[in-house]
Amino acid sequence: MRIYEDLRTVQTRLAVLQTLVVAALAVLLLVFFRLQVVRARYFRHLAESNRTRVVRLAAPRGALLDRSGRVLVGSRPSFNVLLTPEHAEDLDSVVTRLARTLGTGEAAIRESLARRTPYRPPVVRADASLADVAVLEARRLELPEVSVQVVPLRSYPLAEAAAHALGHVGEITERQLGLKENQGLSQGSLIGQDGVEARYNRQLMGRDGYRSVVVNSRGLEVAEAERQAPEDGPSLTLSLDASLQVAMERAFAGRAGAAVALDPRTGEILAMTSTPAYDPNEFTTGLEPERWAHLANDPSTPLMNRVIQGQYAPGSTFKIVMATAALEEGVITPDTRIYCPGYLAVYNTVFRCNEALGHGVVDLRKALAHSCNVYFYQVGIRLEIGRIAAWAKRLGLGAPTGVDLPAEAGGLIPSPEWKLRVQRVPWYAGETVSVAVGQGQVTVTPLQLARLAAVIASGGRLIHPHLARRGSAVAAGEPLGIRPETIAVLKEGLRAVVAEGTGWRARLRGIEVGGKTGSAQVVGRARLEQSPTEDELRPHAWFLAFAPVEQPTIAIAVLVEHGGSGSASAAPVAREILAHYFRLASAPAGEARLAEAGAEE
Amino acid sequence: MLVGIDRRLLFNVDWVLLGASLALSLLGVAMIYSATQYGRHGELYLKQLALVAVGALALVLAATFDYRRLADRSAILYVLTVVALLAVLRFAPLVAGTRRWILVGSFQFQPSELAKIAAALFLAKLFSEYRQETLGLREAALPGAATGLLVLLIARQPDLGTAACLVPPFLAVAFLAGLRMRAVLGLAAGLAVAATLTWPFLRDYQKTRIYTFLDPSLDPRGAGYQKIQSQIAVGSGGLLGKGYAEGSQAQLGYLPARHTDFIFSVLAEELGFVGVAVVLGLYLLVLWRMLETAHLARDRLGAFIAAAIVAGFAFQVVYNVGMVAGLVPVKGLPLPFLSYGGSSILSSLLGVGLILNVRMRRFAN
Repeated sequence: MRIYEDLRTVQTRLAVLQTLVVAALAVLLLVFFRLQVVRARYFRHLAESNRTRVVRLAAPRGALLDRSGRVLVGSRPSFNVLLTPEHAEDLDSVVTRLARTLGTGEAAIRESLARRTPYRPPVVRADASLADVAVLEARRLELPEVSVQVVPLRSYPLAEAAAHALGHVGEITERQLGLKENQGLSQGSLIGQDGVEARYNRQLMGRDGYRSVVVNSRGLEVAEAERQAPEDGPSLTLSLDASLQVAMERAFAGRAGAAVALDPRTGEILAMTSTPAYDPNEFTTGLEPERWAHLANDPSTPLMNRVIQGQYAPGSTFKIVMATAALEEGVITPDTRIYCPGYLAVYNTVFRCNEALGHGVVDLRKALAHSCNVYFYQVGIRLEIGRIAAWAKRLGLGAPTGVDLPAEAGGLIPSPEWKLRVQRVPWYAGETVSVAVGQGQVTVTPLQLARLAAVIASGGRLIHPHLARRGSAVAAGEPLGIRPETIAVLKEGLRAVVAEGTGWRARLRGIEVGGKTGSAQVVGRARLEQSPTEDELRPHAWFLAFAPVEQPTIAIAVLVEHGGSGSASAAPVAREILAHYFRLASAPAGEARLAEAGAEE
Repeated sequence: MLVGIDRRLLFNVDWVLLGASLALSLLGVAMIYSATQYGRHGELYLKQLALVAVGALALVLAATFDYRRLADRSAILYVLTVVALLAVLRFAPLVAGTRRWILVGSFQFQPSELAKIAAALFLAKLFSEYRQETLGLREAALPGAATGLLVLLIARQPDLGTAACLVPPFLAVAFLAGLRMRAVLGLAAGLAVAATLTWPFLRDYQKTRIYTFLDPSLDPRGAGYQKIQSQIAVGSGGLLGKGYAEGSQAQLGYLPARHTDFIFSVLAEELGFVGVAVVLGLYLLVLWRMLETAHLARDRLGAFIAAAIVAGFAFQVVYNVGMVAGLVPVKGLPLPFLSYGGSSILSSLLGVGLILNVRMRRFAN
């Protein structure tokens, strides 16, 4: 006999459960509708970026060529080993295995991991060898977090030669990212950091390409989705002459200082050196912070381009400015004679000549040739500081030349107004006497003095020094309105400097050279006489020159830091450069050392 | 008569429930194939297919013996389950910080899955013994304690997901058995307090999961990662899906546990909203037919068995699908029928067998 139970409560309450189940599933269906239909686009985008990774293909920078097409700066392919820590399940073990594979310490890898910027895989080994790459490729499945990237690496075959003119490259800094000229560049881009590399950076850069690759969740590349090939940067031809550059470096070997040679007809810079220098190749794979600090804090300032950033007193080379101004202003004629007893006593001061016994009666030609201070003291007193400063500025001193290099310094031409404004002290008449021989507060850069030589060489035109060749349109510079007679007198005076005066060590067989020596005092004469052997107290030695005197094709300025006299230290360097330029094998008699150097050519 | 398969019983088999359950199981095999086709587990779908076959056998067995006879022996089953769970805690190997499996032959077996069936039968038996119209908390105490013991043992493994699965069956049966509304509310309040008190005892990874559920961006490569990647998979599937075995999230390995707990993500990504709607429809059909069985059952025992099983199923389906959609914290809880896992498919099909059992015998004596 069956007993049917009373199931009414059960059945009523079941209806509640039924409702709950239907409601729950309906809510879920709505949630999925929202995810899959309403927000589908958003999630599809996320899924796309999940599985594709964009890899930048760096465009090789344009090569820098010298005037005859020789490569000054090129690019070569190199391999970077990257580690993507986001993909690592156990980073420690990956680092250990990678260190073992590459045969390096773990510390270096951990350091590059610690230094990295977020979301950019750090380079754990730059410029890896082919052997490293082969070993890594063989372990590709074991180390999916590690990848090898082929990047064009900047190479500087001349190494230290012309390092400052050419510059170097480095990763863009946070500050540079904000600059207008770097618009569109992203973190990690390699840009020019100095010299021509920096000045013509965008032109040289080309256009980076990219590769979009499909990766799995461990970062292992599965397929390539898209590829845009990089566009190489166009090469840039410079006015530099590689062989003259090398000769200049050799002439400078072991000395600190700067030299620049340019074509006085066009303003093209033919060679330029600043020593001590650095090797720009060191920068291409990223400089260790310690190495950078070492370079930046080195008291001999190897990073500084002395040609455009070194500001030195011009010394007696300033007499070219004085002579030009005096002739143009009519305070002297070429025949004006002045007696030099070896000193001049004015304004309660005794100003000495470089020849203690005196030059006797001198005219302008002799004053230039033997660098007679007394003659130019008198000229200075006649011109007065206002006209001296005006002519110095007119001849391109005391202001940047506008050369196509970054961070050029201007130097300084002092004037009473300047002194009152900046130093809040009135001008002393005695200072004019110092300025007349290029001492005191006057400072110039070697490039400005090379340009000054070019003014005389070119018959009175102020040329625009530059490194990038500008096609056929030759910028000849602005005529300064100097009378041809004045130029002629100066050319003759400067020819006499080399032919019979202080610049005799720059004499060349068969080529007439015009030049001017100078020494820029670092400390007062009294201090120097106390300790004449201390190198840091010796004056800087100057020599500026142009040749051949009648139709000059080269103008140079040489500065040897603490070289003593321009005649003894700077003129031989200039001679060696000129000898190479004119392809001269032999030297004048009595200069054995130079003859040897010439024979090597 | 213990073995009661005759023509009349066969006539009353719920072919719709059986068909829908087997369809979901086979769809699970297909999705497991898609989720594992590249990788070390390429043959898992075959194993799952075998397990579905074994599960179908278990289903037939569970339907064959009269559920009243089974319920009479539920106390023994319950004790066996407790012993098995204790054995797991004592002897099971530690895998990823938990002890869940014991080896039976060459198969890993998860006693906590069996506990669902044992609990359903035992609870139904205990509640069906009460003859009064309405029950108070006192009457619910014994079944509550019996459930609580299982919950504690499973939570100790620790496997909070499976442990939580035992609570809804208890609540559902107590509710159907006539627990007073006041008691129902009191019970709900009590559970809330218990959950709060459990917090200090949670493992760190469990706390992290809850934190990152609230803010997944806290740890995009860690615990929040699963939720984010699952949502991306689901959302990017769109209306029609990326195509079977074509889901980028699943195939490129972004989806964690994609052949087990997150199998529904793979389905949503590859078959789209249309596929989701169809599968949720199938689940609704299964749950509805089960609830209908509870409604049609000839006695309270049958109704309670069906209700306990349906409550467990419904909780698991809603929680797992909600987890895939990013609605609830990530818990190791498989999706019945679809997820890979022998114990899970076995207990799911056993449950279906029991419900078929109840429905078959609604007219029998």
